[in-house]
Amino acid sequence: MKTRLPDHGPLETPQFWRTLEERIETPEAQTAAHDEFLPGAVPSAFDDVHGLPPKNGFSRRDFLGLVSATAALAATVACDRKGQGTVVPYTKRPVEIVPGIANYYASAFNEGRRVYPVLVKTREGRPIHLTGNDEHPGVKGKTSPRTMADVLRLYDPDRLRAPKAGGRTLGWAEADTQLHTALKAAKASGKSVLLISGAVASPTRKALLADLKAALPTLEHLALEPAAGDAPEEAAKASFGQAVELQPRLAKAKVILSLGADFLNGEDPEALGAWGAQRRLKSAKDEINRLWVLEGPLTLTGTNADVRVPVSPSRLSAMAFALAKELAGKGMSLPAGTDLSSISAGVPAELGGNTKLWSNLIKDLQLAGRQAVVLCGAQMPAEAHQAAHLLNAMLGTEAIGIRPAEPLASVQDLQAATKGMAEGRYGAAMFWDVNPAYTYPQAAAWKAAVAKVPFTAWIGQVEDETAAQSHLLLPENHWLESWGDFNTPEAAVLQQPAIGTLYDTRQGEDVLLGAIKALGGSAPASYHAYLQGRWQQRLPLGTSFEQALHDGLVKTDDKGSAPAFKGASVAAAAKKAAESKAQGLELVLFPGFATHDGRHANNSWLQETPDPITKMTWDNPVSVSVQDAQALGIQEGDLVSVSLGGTSLLLPAVIQPGQAKGVLTLALGYGRTTGGVAKGVGVNAFPLMGLDPVSANVAKGVRLSRTGGKKELSRTQSHHRMEGRDLVRSLTMDEFEHHPQGHHPMPELVSLYEEQKFPDHKWGMVIDLAACTGCSACVVACQSENNVPVVGPEQVAKGREMHWIRIDRYYEGELENPKVVHQPMLCQHCDSAPCENVCPVNATNHSPDGLNQMAYNRCVGTRYCANNCPYKVRRFNFLEYTAYKTEPETLVHNPEVTVRPRGVMEKCSFCVQRINDVKIRAKGDGRTILDGEITTACMAGCPSDAIVFGDLKDPKSKVAQLVAASRAYKVLEEIGAKPAITYLADLKNPPTNGASTEGGHHAN
Amino acid sequence: MTDETRTPITNRALALLAGPFLLGQRALSLVFQKEDTPEAEPRTAASRITITPPEHAIKRRG
Repeated sequence: MKTRLPDHGPLETPQFWRTLEERIETPEAQTAAHDEFLPGAVPSAFDDVHGLPPKNGFSRRDFLGLVSATAALAATVACDRKGQGTVVPYTKRPVEIVPGIANYYASAFNEGRRVYPVLVKTREGRPIHLTGNDEHPGVKGKTSPRTMADVLRLYDPDRLRAPKAGGRTLGWAEADTQLHTALKAAKASGKSVLLISGAVASPTRKALLADLKAALPTLEHLALEPAAGDAPEEAAKASFGQAVELQPRLAKAKVILSLGADFLNGEDPEALGAWGAQRRLKSAKDEINRLWVLEGPLTLTGTNADVRVPVSPSRLSAMAFALAKELAGKGMSLPAGTDLSSISAGVPAELGGNTKLWSNLIKDLQLAGRQAVVLCGAQMPAEAHQAAHLLNAMLGTEAIGIRPAEPLASVQDLQAATKGMAEGRYGAAMFWDVNPAYTYPQAAAWKAAVAKVPFTAWIGQVEDETAAQSHLLLPENHWLESWGDFNTPEAAVLQQPAIGTLYDTRQGEDVLLGAIKALGGSAPASYHAYLQGRWQQRLPLGTSFEQALHDGLVKTDDKGSAPAFKGASVAAAAKKAAESKAQGLELVLFPGFATHDGRHANNSWLQETPDPITKMTWDNPVSVSVQDAQALGIQEGDLVSVSLGGTSLLLPAVIQPGQAKGVLTLALGYGRTTGGVAKGVGVNAFPLMGLDPVSANVAKGVRLSRTGGKKELSRTQSHHRMEGRDLVRSLTMDEFEHHPQGHHPMPELVSLYEEQKFPDHKWGMVIDLAACTGCSACVVACQSENNVPVVGPEQVAKGREMHWIRIDRYYEGELENPKVVHQPMLCQHCDSAPCENVCPVNATNHSPDGLNQMAYNRCVGTRYCANNCPYKVRRFNFLEYTAYKTEPETLVHNPEVTVRPRGVMEKCSFCVQRINDVKIRAKGDGRTILDGEITTACMAGCPSDAIVFGDLKDPKSKVAQLVAASRAYKVLEEIGAKPAITYLADLKNPPTNGASTEGGHHAN
Repeated sequence: MTDETRTPITNRALALLAGPFLLGQRALSLVFQKEDTPEAEPRTAASRITITPPEHAIKRRG
């Protein structure tokens, strides 16, 4: 067979790289590139992959001898099967459950103020998979990775199953008595009662708290969201006179300027949906938006930028105010009372004299006007937020929704509460779904203060640091067992249970209803009745509560006026911004991708999902810029000391290309001291949080030093590398217009293999790299759908992670500010699959509809297929990851997907169970399968709709049409494996000299 | 040609004897384990969790 390879001349092919070692071409990296698997991935004593003789221990021959000798004894033991289960049918089947048929319930979840309307898939009464509610006009069937993973928390074996006090399990009657006695005593004595809860995003919960306040007038309530950042609240109070909630409306934005805002990180499905819609271009003539990013850390949004400038967080506000002054100078009117006299216009020093860049940015904003928007990151200082509010007011932007919100407690409020507790001001305290003992920066002061409160009650799911300091522990329902409601801009959303309570738990609202009644107030029997009563008064005519539950929402026309911007607030912020200087090292503390503020730290799915930027799992290293690492002599994995004031943390370091010089970043939510999964993973960074709300998440004057020693990093970015071949393609709009195939001419391939025949269907997929932001929602969706096991940090470090889909993150260009492309990589279901040819037992073979399928019970684990897979997407069960799991962990399994045992190879199946489900339904209905009817889990989970699945044999199908697009290419097409997945090249839309200056950029 | 990488015959012989012995010992201990051995930690939860449908909830489809 002769196959002509395309020319990969160094001048023609962009040089992408994934690790620093690869970029600087160290000998280790070159060796690693030739060794397909990490050193630990294959046991050294059985080094049959590399064909090397074993250096010590047993040879293969010895091993086989040992096995033969022990076979007889093993067989005698095998006669006794321990723990075998019995399948028992329902004796009294619940009316709504039909075995084998999934039920779907509409419900909702909230993380702080952000609300996620969801659809819950249940099997035999067990919630097993979450997607967004397709009826919601904002999220349109999409949700976030953390929401999808939260189904696992329902089955967390660490959940508290009954009330507890002093280490003793109680009944609810006794627990109620203790709580009510304490509250009555506090009320009688006139002492205050402290209640700390999460954000109040529910109108009915707000009403309930008002009722509690009426029954207990000394109640002091704080809504605590420690990862939300205090600075946006402070800025909102200054700019609008009240707390506000911002929702980007990116569908209306042609130009987006991000000041450290990470709106593409997967948390906001609405923003991601709009982003994807503007990036999935069919032709170069289509309209595309433009994203400018000024930021210190490298965020996912920064990796998707068309133009990115690394800037220290402390200098962001000065640049933004300078931009406002420039725009004002060009005739854009300033809001009344705005004083920018302390700001000098001109090119900021951070741009290194790049006047063209600065003028392009100004012109872009000016030309886009109402269709431009400025977004600021929650962790950035308050002045930067105020500058963003000012710029949006000047632009008159349509691309952001601003509405009043319930205020959140700042770190200062918490400080005052701590002082109050220490002074004995409170008669009782209740902590509901919050963990201040862990999140409050001064944990010792908190602990001492709480000890002085006569009675403390904790309401939550898994005993945490705060529970350990509380007298009474009240176990709470998971939200999938609870009632509730939320307001979103487009709809009022309902939360309903999808399962009865698993344990002897109650929802927090029911606990408070009981307290209201005990304190002499009147309240219905349950929170369900309370909620239903309120809703029935407010439902629009013709809509029943049952219909609202069915839909999960009632659409509203929220035309409430946005709070007005106060120009007079600008002067002080601008003066502070003008005086700001980037000196020394600045530490940015941001919510962990997996953990958020620590509430998800006990979720192993999230812990094992690689961080989209660092590709770290199970840890929170401090990220150091390339320049600082060079100056301080820090290498990847070096243990370093991060010190601020009197606090010092010992952490491993990772070197982050693209991070601004002088900036360190560290994720919050790690270093928990409780929880079977969370305990001991990473380091708690909350002690480094500042006590000044305007800049709590950005700490200046941080000291960084090497302490000696290294830590092995459980990092996936260098796993499954593909030796620098032509794998990702990224085009500028100019290239898309003139050379859509880039520099990669594909010659005609010749093959000796017989063409595969596909009589009915040929399943295929298209992934648009221009729409993919790298948010990893697909990874979590796949894990949930396909029972993908968790292997733990030690196994990840050996390259044995099991995810069927991974996001490869490629850099191109300079270390200081590289271009980044994300590429989801999964089994390509090749027609001439190299894995199929080498399987000695035909465990992997081709289906008549184009699936590269696995027969797990036939697989003998030779791993030849993994060796021969050019895409490195096959995963081997080196150890027994699932068989020893017991209830409740096993309840999350999808019964339609086999749980794989040790010694078996597995990989993406294109969600064959979903394909067959639709096939059977279509056959039952006597019709053909409709285009778009089959959705793989990754496709359904992708918030930017970058993944399209369908029948390639149907020329009218969306997938078939996209395969013919000009940006289409196949990874490693030259080897002739004929993959069924087509990628569409990434697009960047940087301003071109002529285009932007003439106002003719692609955004317009 | 002699296989130089092979371990000494005594080591291999020892492994061939010790392996079956240890595995056999383990196998016999599983078969003839004492029934009345108390568990190290008494179970606090029921061995099977009862799944109940949600009350008052309305399903979308299924």
